[in-house]
Amino acid sequence: MIDHLLTPFHYEYMVKAMLVSAIIGGVCACLSCFVTLKGWSLMGDALSHAIVPGVSIAYLAGLPFALGAFVSGICAAMCMSFVKNKTRIREDAVIGIVFTTFFAAGVLMISLFPSNINLKSIVFGNILGIANADIVQMLAISAVTMGVIALKWKDLLLFSFDPNHARAIGLNVKILQVMLLTLLAATAVAALQAVGACLVVAMLVTPGATAYLLTDRFGRMMIIAMVMGTITSFIGAYASYFLNGSTGGCIVVLQTSLFLIALFLAPKHGVIASRLKSRASISAFIRDAEPTSIPTGAISQ
Amino acid sequence: MTRLLEPFQYAFMNQAMIIAALIGAVCAVLSCYLVLKGWSLMGDAVSHAVLPGIVIAYIVGAPLSLGAFIAGLVCAGSTGWIKAHSRIKEDTVMGIVFTGLFALGLVMFTKVQTDVHLNHILFGSLLGIERHDMIQATVTAVITLIVMIALRKDLLLFCFDPNHAGAVGLNTTFLHYLMLSVLSATIVAALQAVGIILTVAMLITPGCIAYLLTDRFNRMLIIAVISAVFSAVVGTYLSYFINGATGSCIVLTQALIFIGAMLFAPKNGLLAQRLLSFQLVAATDSPVKNSTKALLRR
Repeated sequence: MIDHLLTPFHYEYMVKAMLVSAIIGGVCACLSCFVTLKGWSLMGDALSHAIVPGVSIAYLAGLPFALGAFVSGICAAMCMSFVKNKTRIREDAVIGIVFTTFFAAGVLMISLFPSNINLKSIVFGNILGIANADIVQMLAISAVTMGVIALKWKDLLLFSFDPNHARAIGLNVKILQVMLLTLLAATAVAALQAVGACLVVAMLVTPGATAYLLTDRFGRMMIIAMVMGTITSFIGAYASYFLNGSTGGCIVVLQTSLFLIALFLAPKHGVIASRLKSRASISAFIRDAEPTSIPTGAISQ
Repeated sequence: MTRLLEPFQYAFMNQAMIIAALIGAVCAVLSCYLVLKGWSLMGDAVSHAVLPGIVIAYIVGAPLSLGAFIAGLVCAGSTGWIKAHSRIKEDTVMGIVFTGLFALGLVMFTKVQTDVHLNHILFGSLLGIERHDMIQATVTAVITLIVMIALRKDLLLFCFDPNHAGAVGLNTTFLHYLMLSVLSATIVAALQAVGIILTVAMLITPGCIAYLLTDRFNRMLIIAVISAVFSAVVGTYLSYFINGATGSCIVLTQALIFIGAMLFAPKNGLLAQRLLSFQLVAATDSPVKNSTKALLRR
């Protein structure tokens, strides 16, 4: 039994996959706190789809795929802000137009130049077959992202919460915005390999939202999110060995289950807690009101 | 000349153009409402969320489109419920719900051996579309169109101003769920024919193109439908010559039309706005209006 449970650890590729997923999961979770507060969830979704043409160009030109992906993510973000500022179309529609266009361009390019790029591995991720060079790229991205967040987390936090206040106390909001977008694009690129374009957004949203339900303090939120992101990614990769299923799918299903548990059982902001609280306050109100004028019979009906 | 007419000689090309145009037209009508309501990304979410429904329907032997339709409604419904019962923002909830459902579908999909090709669901197989998918898409398209046109005024008011719609006695809850159901049904029909990417794009872009070009809703509907049908035909036609993915060609054609509209729209286009501001400055170029001019400069 134990032997059976330990089999994944006997394979080098499984150990590699679990460790790499855990690291990416942690970094994405750290960023997800800012994303959740800023309300940029769909930006994460859009960026992760928009990096596909960059990946295909990079493969065709023989460049490192992270570079291509990153550049095309930034291009997409710039297109979005341009169209949003110049037209009267709402932000969500602009995001939709830009990312579908980029994604379609990527798919078209792959269909025009059939090469060794597998569209499936971009869309669904392929952590089990990850090359060492890609691991190095991902570790570098993770290290830089964590470094920037460690140095600037207070500025980024204020910017996410209240950009006007951030501007008022003299922070350069433009730079912070670009910085956060850049980090988002970079981590989306890293996570693409682990879970694929369709599920990157889950890694960039779910841990932060779960932690947000559990605590009111940002420091704790970040810790909870990172612990959750790391552990779910590790276990998800581990479980995918037994399920013989997609690694990204397993990781995200785990994260969503944890979110649902938090949604119902969170001590203060959970559905059950708030229902109990509202019931308690109604009965307290009735108790207070009883002695004065309202007849008890009317209330019990 | 014969080279240019070549695509029309193949039955599968004609079929692909007709079905893409039909689905494009229905999605375009819906997209006008979605753009006004601010639900553009609902299409994205629902179209990813149908995957577990398809797999479960396959396991129990139910029609795949029924499973997909229910999964779509579950996605939309639970997004609304979680948003109402927690302090998390709507877009975040949407992201969590649809990725959760998609991931669940993916895990189930790899576990269950199906003869449904994931690639077909995701990227569409417009050129190899099967007969029953085509019939299903046509039937759904016609029903959707009838509902949308019959309830045009109610839905329009609901999208513009739900409070007003409630005040004049419309049943807004009914309209809300009606729109979600119509959206899900359209997505399900479109997915099997044209794939996720194209469905999402078709549900957003035509409405935006039309919104840039006109201020009247009826005209907006017409422009959206025309642009969608045009890009469906042109995109499919081009894909024959460059031998590329059909769905992507249609999306890119739509994107080009959007860019064109953004630049050259008569009133809201970038060029028109620039001209207008030049004219304003020129008009104030008289000694009487010097103060206005100074204001403008500042």
